[in-house]
Amino acid sequence: MDAAEVEFLAEKELVTIIPNFSLDKIYLIGGDLGPFNPGLPVEVPLWLAINLKQRQKCRLIPPEWMDVGLDLTVPEFKPCLGLCAASMDPLGFPLSLKIKKLEKIRDHERKEETFTPMPSPYYMELTKLLLNHASDNIPKADEIRTLIKDVWDTRIAKLRVSADSFVRQQEAHAKLDNLTLMEINTSGAFLTQALNHMYKLRTNLQPSESVQSQDF
Amino acid sequence: MTEELDPTAQDSDGGSEEVVLTPAELIENLEQEENLRRAKKGDLKVSIHRMEMERIRYVLSSYLRCRLMKIEKFFPHILEKEKTAHEGELSSLSPEELVFAKQYMANTETYLKNVALKHMPPNLQMVDLLRSVPKPDLDSYVFLRVKERQENILVEPETDEQRDYVIDLEEGSQHLIRYKTIAPLVASGAVQLI
Repeated sequence: MDAAEVEFLAEKELVTIIPNFSLDKIYLIGGDLGPFNPGLPVEVPLWLAINLKQRQKCRLIPPEWMDVGLDLTVPEFKPCLGLCAASMDPLGFPLSLKIKKLEKIRDHERKEETFTPMPSPYYMELTKLLLNHASDNIPKADEIRTLIKDVWDTRIAKLRVSADSFVRQQEAHAKLDNLTLMEINTSGAFLTQALNHMYKLRTNLQPSESVQSQDF
Repeated sequence: MTEELDPTAQDSDGGSEEVVLTPAELIENLEQEENLRRAKKGDLKVSIHRMEMERIRYVLSSYLRCRLMKIEKFFPHILEKEKTAHEGELSSLSPEELVFAKQYMANTETYLKNVALKHMPPNLQMVDLLRSVPKPDLDSYVFLRVKERQENILVEPETDEQRDYVIDLEEGSQHLIRYKTIAPLVASGAVQLI
């Protein structure tokens, strides 16, 4: 597969948009898309969302994980309405407890040696398409871009290290959960071809009748 | 519909081709839909449907292109398999593909004969395509995703010092392994190649 095909598959993911037109329910081959009313959010596949945005017919809402703001779902977080200590920011929230979603993901990824689950199996493609076409609808676009790139670099480095040890120890099998299609695709073709060559060289070292070789 | 076609389309090496269930009918359905929708007014609706159709057409044609590429690459072995298949077993090629494969073989033989073979000494004028065209490499490594849980898959050792060991394949996990070990699972649909 090449990268364009992986992006094509990623375009089937659903994203939320806010249309500025109205249209009743449409029955597509891949599924139904609910009635469109101006101002009301509706879920559509990414390819349609990008197209509508380009025609200026909608506003894109970034997915929940594409966020570099306050994570209000963190349980330790308690807004103090009364006494304010010196380490509070103007809104009254303790500064040290401001936790950013994507940063959390990046730090988790850096800490762990294995691959951590990603918020979406197509996080790279979603980020790229949404930031390219709808960066005006997404707050802190540059920070998001940097964080996603950091996560990607960390994961590709881990992939390189594990491919290296796979080859060195001549393993026969590897488990790669939590790897997204784009990452597998980036390094997969080279890795499988190299492994195939090595397998051929190895089996030719051990002469046996079961190995068929062709005459030409 | 498109989701099922997508992963099977991008098959990795192995020469295993699954039966295509009526792609021609799918295309007819698409055109029907398009005509139906075109009857109603509303430029936006029509353009959305047309966009979706283009996407589906792309998936179908890239699937077909992949199959034709495999046929052209491994044609003697595929035709051999067709010949030795028992009656009652499903062919893995559609009728049009079978015709294509046979014509391709005939054309290649004619070409080789006219270009080189008829000028060779009489006892060297035959070429055995079955032996000279490389077979699909069933030992190549593939990435796969598990759809149904499998137990006790035997993993053969790569070097002499390693032993055989068994692994379990959990649902939803992804692996890198040699194709031969899991070939029957691909055919039965328990795993999906990436």
